[in-house]
Amino acid sequence: MAQIKLRQVDEYRWEIPREGKMRTRGLIFASKEMLPKIHEDRSLEQVANVATLPGIEGPSMAMPDIHWGYGFPIGGVAAFNLEEGVVSPGGVGYDINCGVRLLRTNLEREAIAHRVEELVNALFDNIPTGVGSRRKDLKLTVPTLKEVMRYGAAWAVKQGFGNAEDLAHIEAGGQIPGADPEVVSQFAMDRGKDQLGTLGSGNHFVEVGYVAEIYDEPLARALGLFPGQVTVIIHTGSRGLGHQVCDDFIKVMLKASAKYGIELPDRQLCSAPIRSPEGQQYLAAMAAAANFAFANRQIITHWVRESLEQVLKMGPRDLGLELVYDVAHNIAKIEKHVIDGQEKTVCVHRKGATRAFPPGHPEVPPAYRETGQPVLIPGDMGRYSFVLVGTRRALEETFGSTCHGAGRELSRAAAIKAAKGRRVVQEMAARGIIVRGAGRDTIDEEISEAYKDVENVVNVTHGAGISRKVAKLKPMGVIKG
Amino acid sequence: MAASPPRQHRRPYRFLSHTADVGLRIRGETLEALFANAARALTATMVDRRRLRGTRSRQISVEAPDLEALLVAWLNHLLYLYDTEAFLGRDFTITSLTPERLEARAVGDTYDPTRHISKTAVKAATYHHLAITRVPDGWQATVILDL
Repeated sequence: MAQIKLRQVDEYRWEIPREGKMRTRGLIFASKEMLPKIHEDRSLEQVANVATLPGIEGPSMAMPDIHWGYGFPIGGVAAFNLEEGVVSPGGVGYDINCGVRLLRTNLEREAIAHRVEELVNALFDNIPTGVGSRRKDLKLTVPTLKEVMRYGAAWAVKQGFGNAEDLAHIEAGGQIPGADPEVVSQFAMDRGKDQLGTLGSGNHFVEVGYVAEIYDEPLARALGLFPGQVTVIIHTGSRGLGHQVCDDFIKVMLKASAKYGIELPDRQLCSAPIRSPEGQQYLAAMAAAANFAFANRQIITHWVRESLEQVLKMGPRDLGLELVYDVAHNIAKIEKHVIDGQEKTVCVHRKGATRAFPPGHPEVPPAYRETGQPVLIPGDMGRYSFVLVGTRRALEETFGSTCHGAGRELSRAAAIKAAKGRRVVQEMAARGIIVRGAGRDTIDEEISEAYKDVENVVNVTHGAGISRKVAKLKPMGVIKG
Repeated sequence: MAASPPRQHRRPYRFLSHTADVGLRIRGETLEALFANAARALTATMVDRRRLRGTRSRQISVEAPDLEALLVAWLNHLLYLYDTEAFLGRDFTITSLTPERLEARAVGDTYDPTRHISKTAVKAATYHHLAITRVPDGWQATVILDL
């Protein structure tokens, strides 16, 4: 395979010129230093492949955390019009509505420094983690599970997990409209019924950390963040239910692609016209799985609050564990965007990319009308994570999207090899970070050097103007799946 | 002491390097062996297989439009059994196989975090770069797992 040629647009933008079957150009956000690594895998070819799909509007894009995915690259953003455009489960990924939420507290770092181990243990005991984690105390009946899929985080709040104030601080209010549990298979429901409120495995985590650096004082203040403040990040998604919905609909879409004559450069790009019954059913099932994920993070939030209250023996008011925001980074959304001066409704696929709407956008909650939508970018467990806000430039250029994380530098096998003979947990403790994980390999796989430096990723999006840096958070204690 | 003959048979599966996830390269003298080896490789990705006991069995049948899709459906069905029943297969017997339908018996264990060393959770077997090909000594398959 010949290397894909890139044409430099500016310091942070690189174009794949339109050629062959591409219907539009490719646009990659990256620094010059990132390019050799990006060229190592076939992710640029995937950007070009996405550009061949019918009804694509604007360029086929990739964020600086781009790497090889299935069909669509991870870090990919692509919008399709509703007339000829398609929707693709491969453009969302297996973990539908994998996402991140950030909680702030009233506490300063020093106040909990000697309690971190206890906190990590309490979190580990209260939140099921790891391969096949399930809850024995929260098994859902089919009718209840269907309510979860319809109402998302609102269902959880109604059951007493959190409060109404939380809902105002979640993307789409924690409930994607149009969810239809009736198109979710029995298999998917079987997998989801005792996984609500579980973290899962892989790169999912709950992290207690603190605000280590502030880049924009007024923005940070508006987001309720101050230096040294204790924060909590939750990163998980829709668990087996979402994986099954994706797998079910890839099968549907393989047939649909043939039925509607959509030419596929890669089977995993299989898709259906948005207007077709298959397309509509996928969007309804995806929304149902996304709502399950919102409910999942909401319930875990409740247990985070309980864990901190138990260990620190403080009431909710003193603790002040409030939701800053919750973002989805694997999702397709029906949104209105201005394209060539005209407002159009499009289906925006964000696969390993985060929505980054600007100040004043109607979908940004009132609390953030002046600042822009908070964007949460988790890093690896040893370094740091970032809080950004969305910008007007992002809305105009990337359908209001930015990066989602660090992206792996080493394969899991290479990471395990690199960790061999080392005691990663002790190494982390020596650096002041308490880590507990369900499996030995999951911690080894997640060593810092297995990941790219998320700061480089974030600096590209900041430099390109598609999001603005607000704060850097550093970990103190982490539970991993 | 007689020298033992050189071992001829190929490894039933090996892991391929893939930055974000893991690929499996599976071999089998027959298609049945190929499918059974793929299942063993999946289990080995998730846990240390050697600690599994053969205390439970499951009859499994899956259908798909073609042989390659059938391999993905088979592996994803095993993930379904794991998620819903914590069932982990150790030994697999393919009792019937056509390009559109597979019937199998899996013997294995219930996942128990106190006895088993968990490795990596697998979200799904994917269609990405999926291939089943004839090789001189049988069959080879490539399948990438989303982790």
